[in-house]
This record gives sequence, C-alpha cells and structure tokens, in this order.
Amino acid sequence: MKKSFFLGLLVALSGLAGCGDDGGEGTSGAFANLSCASSEVTSANCVEIADAATLIAEVNLLEPDTTLVLGAGTFEFDNAVTIRANGISLIGQGIEETVLAFGSGTTQFNGVDVVGDDFLVQDLTVLDAPKDGIRVEDSDGVTFRRIRATWTNEGDMNNGAYGIYPVKSQNVLVEDSFAENASDAGLYVGQCINVIVRNNEVRGNVAGLEIENTQYADVYGNLAEDNTGGIVVFDLPGNPIVGRDVRLRDNRIINNNRDNFAPGGTVAQIPPGTGTFAMASRRVEITNNRYENNRTLDIAIISGLVIEGDASAWDLVETEMIGDFGDLALLPGTSDGTWSNFRSENIVIANNMHTGSGASPSTTNMLGTLIAFLYGEVDGPVDSVVYDNIGESTFDAMDLERNSNDNRLCVGGNTAGTLGLLNLENAPAPILAGATAPFGPFGCDALEGGPVAEVSLPQLP
Amino acid sequence: MRTFLAFTLLLAACGGEDAPSSFSGPVRVDPTASRAPARLSELNLLRWDAVAGTFEYNERVVPYDLNTPLFSDFAVKDRALYLPEGATVTYTAEGVLELPVGSAIVKSFSYPADFREPDVARNVIETRVLIHAEDGWENWPYIWDEAQQDALLSPSGEVRAIDFVDTEGETRTANYLVPQRNQCGACHALQTTAGGEETFFTPIGPKARNLNRTFDFGPGVGLRNQLDYLAELGMLTGLPALTEVPAAMDFSPIEESGLAAVAPEDLDHAARDYLDVNCAHCHNPRGVQGQTSQLFLNYDNEDTFRLGFCKRPGSAGEGNGGLTYDIVPGNPDESILVFRTETEEVGAMMPLLGRSLAHDRGVELLRAWVASLPPETCEE
Repeated sequence: MKKSFFLGLLVALSGLAGCGDDGGEGTSGAFANLSCASSEVTSANCVEIADAATLIAEVNLLEPDTTLVLGAGTFEFDNAVTIRANGISLIGQGIEETVLAFGSGTTQFNGVDVVGDDFLVQDLTVLDAPKDGIRVEDSDGVTFRRIRATWTNEGDMNNGAYGIYPVKSQNVLVEDSFAENASDAGLYVGQCINVIVRNNEVRGNVAGLEIENTQYADVYGNLAEDNTGGIVVFDLPGNPIVGRDVRLRDNRIINNNRDNFAPGGTVAQIPPGTGTFAMASRRVEITNNRYENNRTLDIAIISGLVIEGDASAWDLVETEMIGDFGDLALLPGTSDGTWSNFRSENIVIANNMHTGSGASPSTTNMLGTLIAFLYGEVDGPVDSVVYDNIGESTFDAMDLERNSNDNRLCVGGNTAGTLGLLNLENAPAPILAGATAPFGPFGCDALEGGPVAEVSLPQLP
Repeated sequence: MRTFLAFTLLLAACGGEDAPSSFSGPVRVDPTASRAPARLSELNLLRWDAVAGTFEYNERVVPYDLNTPLFSDFAVKDRALYLPEGATVTYTAEGVLELPVGSAIVKSFSYPADFREPDVARNVIETRVLIHAEDGWENWPYIWDEAQQDALLSPSGEVRAIDFVDTEGETRTANYLVPQRNQCGACHALQTTAGGEETFFTPIGPKARNLNRTFDFGPGVGLRNQLDYLAELGMLTGLPALTEVPAAMDFSPIEESGLAAVAPEDLDHAARDYLDVNCAHCHNPRGVQGQTSQLFLNYDNEDTFRLGFCKRPGSAGEGNGGLTYDIVPGNPDESILVFRTETEEVGAMMPLLGRSLAHDRGVELLRAWVASLPPETCEE
C-alpha cells in the first residue's frame, strides 16, 4: 500500500479550507486549544493537520511562512519530520495533548529536523527519536516554547543523543520546556550566537543543559535535576566559534547523581554527581544559583587540556574563526596565524548557595576517581568550587595567598562555598582544599572587560 | 494515460530481441516549472522494461556508471544524464561537472530477489530525478507502482522493508529509505563558502574522476570510456587526453572479490575514494552537517587531524561505540570511523541516511586501510 502524496495534499487542503470557517470546527475536538482560526495564528498560510502522513506530505512541499497546527493525539512516524523552509511554525495543542512519536522508526533520523530561519516549535512532545529529538541547524531566529523532548526508557544508552538541540544557529530562545532521558545532553545549545535559555527543566539526562562553543548566552531560571551533570559550559577543540559571554544565573542544580549512561563522547567523562563544569571557557558568570546534593562537586573550572591534551588540537586558524574574538585574551596557538581556546579564564562565581554536595565523589569514571583520590588524601568533602589550575604560574598547596590567578577566576559571596585548587595535569599532586572566603588572589568580583554582555534577541516568531 | 503507457510498454516488450534500447520523442524536463509532473513517464526520460529487466532511455539520455558508487543498502543503481538539445558541459578535473539549466540526472534503485542472479526478477523501488531548474537544482523522488509500469511523484518518501538474498546466499532485510524530499539536501546541499550562510543544491556523482571509466553503451556503441563518449556526442567539451584525467578507484572488483582485488599500493587510493563518495558529501568543509564534526573525508583533504587521525569526535553521541578517536592509525578496532560504518545500530550508523545494513566490502576496505596506516597510540 502506497502512501499517496496527493491524498495527503487533499487532506491538507481540506484543513486549509477549515481556516475559513470562523473557528467553528477548530474550537472543538482535536483543535480545541489552537486552530488556524485562533487569534494567535497570524500567518495567512495555516494548515491544520490531524495525522502523520499529512504532516510529512505537507513539510516536503512547504511554502515559506506557513503555520502548521497539529491536532491533539499521538502522531506516529517512521521517518523524520523535516523542515527546510523559512518562517515555519509547528504548533501542537499542548505538551500533553500532542505527541510526535518516533519509536517505531527502523532507520536513523532525528525526530524534528529543521533548517530554516524564523522557526517556532511550541506546545508538543517529541518522543523516542532514534537520534536527536528536535534538531535545528544553521538557522537564524529559533524559538522552542513549551515543548518536551523525551525518551520512554530512563537511563538507556540507546536513547537518542540530544533532546532539544539548536546548533550553528543564532538568535535562539528556549523557554518553558522539558528535556529528559537523553543519552548525551538533554538541552544542548551548540555553536550558537545570541541565546536565551530560561525556565526549562532538564531531568534524567547525562548532561542536563549544555552550552557548547556558544557566544552570548543567558541561562536562567532553569532546573537541572537527576542528571549525571547539571549545567555545563565548554568549548570543544577545533571548533571555529570560541565560546564567550555565558551567564548562568538563578538556576537550581540539584541531585545530579545519575549514573553516567552515555555510550561515549565528551559527556562520558562527566563524573556522576557533578553540578556544573566550565571547560575551555571564558567570560562566564555563574551567579545566584542554588546547588544542592550533587555528590561529587558543585562547580569545577577546568582546562580543555584535561580532555584533549594535545595543545595543537586546540589551534584555530584566525581566518576561519566565526563570531567575536578580537577582544578576548586567547593564547596564541601552536602554529602561526592560530589562536588557542583550551584555557578557562575570566570567570566569576559569586553568590551561589551550596548545600550538601561533594560528600561522596563518584569513582565510576576517570575524573571522578581522580577527584575522590585527591580529596581522600585530605580527608574532606570536595569543595564547592574546584579549580584545575593547569597553566597557572604559581601553585602553593599550603597558602592560598601564594597562588597565582593568571586565568582570572573570581570567587566570592557564595553561601557555604569553599574553594579547592588542584592540578589535573600533574595529578596526583598536592591540592589546596577547604579554603574559605576571602579567597585571596581569587577575591576579585568582576570579569575583566566588564560583565557578560546582555543578550537581546530580535523579534522572534 | 496509464493504459496508453502500458500499451506502449507492452509493444516495446513484444519487440523481443529487436527491442530498442532507446526510444525517441521529446523529453519534457521543464526548468521553469515549480513542480515536477505527477508521473515519471510524463518526463519521457526513461522506461522500465520489466520483461527484459532493463531500463530504456530516451535517445537524448545517456546512461552512465561511477567508479566508486555510494552504498545504499545494496540497491542496484541505474544512472543516466540528460542535457537539453545543443547544450554542452565544460570539462573540469575537480568537482562536479557543471550541467546547464534544463539538464536532468536520473537514478533508479532496484533489488533483484537474489543477488546471485542480479538480472532476474529485479524490482524497481524508486527513481530520483534531479532537474537543473532556473533557480538551481530541484530534487524529485518517484516511487514505482506495484505493477512496475510507472512511478509516482512521492515527496514524502517511504521506509520499506525489503528482503533479498545476498551474493553469499544469505537472506537479508534492508529497511530501505526512499528519502523524503527534504532529506535529499542532507547529502546534496553544500555551503557556498565554508561556514557561510548560503547553501546550494548540487549533484554529487558526475565528477570527471568518477565518470572516467568504461561503460557498455549497448548495440552499435559497445564498450566506451564514458567521458570520451560524451565528448564524441558533443556533450562534453575541453576533455584532455584520458591519460590526463584523474580516475577514482574502480570499486566493482572490490565488490566482486574483496580485498584480493586491491594491490597494496592502491589501498590508500581505494579507501580515500570510498570515503570521498560515501562520506564526504557531508564530511567536507562546506558540508552543512558534516562541518559540525570538523571531520573531513574528502579525497583531497591533506590535514590528517581533520581526516580523523587521533581526533576526538565533535558530538557523536552514541555513535562512538565507547571509543575515543575517529581514527587510531594502525588500529581499526579502536577507530570510531570503522565502528560507525560497520554497525547496524540505529543512532550510531554512518552514513546518516540510506544505510541500514553494513556494506561488508566497504568495511573490509576501511579496516584494511586503517590497519595499514603507520601506528599511533593517540595518547600523549
């Protein structure tokens, strides 16, 4: 039996006709919460869609600036929902009401797979995608609102990699959404410029919320709970966008003690019980967050050399670099005309609240084992803030005052916050543990070059 | 229309031994149309002769083959090229030949029931038509009807389980993907400049180096070098002496008899061409998705780090199979590239689209190539 695209078109067209009847049909049944007649729908091109085949037919012949309103119910797909046009809105009846289910797929694909400017996805759930839940790539102007990307099985390494995944995009807003059970990162902002991530909940993922090689990101009001690692910020080697100006504020990062079930990759190195780490990052502010009961540690600031020790792998050819970097204190690379971004520097950690973390560091992977070993030597809980001081000119395990702070790490004003210094490159080596405020050379309280820039997004769909 | 077509096919089939391998009549490729016709037959480019188990092409259409083809779950592929009357293509040694507006490329995918008898009971699944329209290349997927008489425009694509017996006599099932229209760009879209915002749609196969091979053009023409023949037809200009034209490795002997068909000194060439064709449509500096990984597998990439040597993957997710580096020279079992091309696990497989089964011969080649590289431990 063949799926007829013409039949699909016919159904779609009848949906279109539905737009005309002043909401009569749209206000009941499958389109009770939203129909093409609803006042929220501003696009002249609106289609109401009640089944999967119609949606697939529709998205493959899209005119720009089309709103696709999905009815209530479960839509089952054996292939991706792909969008390759600008100005598309994909809106369901609500997170609980409209479910796009991909679990029966036998080939590999992302659930919702988008390349298109001014894209909006709202009020729906994406379930059991073979690869990523919702991937939006190379797009300018992207909104994720009130959506859930999830997998049925908890802690399953066969789950897809990323739940909500804007990548190589700019002007991105992710709000009031849920990302769960991803075998890599639940909410993953990768290689983006100008991003707001607010009021989301990430649970049951390896990395809850990840900001990677991203410039100008404001991350606030989120809850990261029951992941292996809560909220992380890092650059990967060799990527032409150097991360900068990332602000984590007013988030709750609690009970992130889940076993690491990543099948591999950078996140496989996150020790269970990690609140936040910033790696190979600069111009980061971590402020006013609540950290609670993360068994290994709350905040780690580490050098990129910890995951990629070959400094030349971090060389970035200046002429290929994207975004703003001229004002950053990047180190020169190992060859002419290159810059390097393995160093973590210019970071403020202030006014966070720490409760109950660091009591029993996980030894299930290399980094956790190392931390547990080092702190075993000093016989104390892991400090709230741990600084891997690779690249510092001076280290003194006995006297905080005699340590250099060449990378400008500022720590202060935290409730119950202690500081530990260690060197992961030369470990096991002595560590300085249990320092309490004031933090001597680390007592600065502002970023060099002014605070993280305010993110202002243009009008988004 | 359908009856008429069936009748025509019937007539052609009844021609028996004298059946023409080509037919005449105008090709109806319209570079100004916003949508391709609903039926493949309306383009008048090709017909399927179910009795003979072969395609017939319009006399204006030239069939061809590639040195190293893209693996698509063992599907048999028939390719052909159409240029508008009087149009020519200028030879270029590098890159895809620039076919003029109004050209079309057709590629049909079929499965014999038993690959030990590849010419018997071949079932045609789909024909993809690329049309060089005025605004750039457009892609149109057609799925053949059950009667194998015509194919219908099918922008939604399809996932179909296909059983076949392989060359070893084993029954296998492919979860064959007829890509939906939007998925064509996953392979066929390139950025104008690396990292740039503009993308364009492009054919992939017809590069001089991949066309530089012999093909049996049938009665009256016989075995000819494809480029030479296109030049003789007046469709290709500026072709230098064939000895000056680069040639990708002919993969067919490898498909036939495995590594035994590769001389040790050709191993690198064969593997790099295999990677080029099977991976580099994404994994090149202008590939929209492959760029994210910074792994570049185009045959002319000379940066061994970005070729994957001791390189950690960007964001492979579960695709790394618990391994650390894309390629550990000398050690195929530690190389993610080998793992991802070998696995049949959904979510980990590469290429992303169009493969559900392992390409045994391809994997064999890649394994041998990685094993042949001067060993490195990749640890500091």
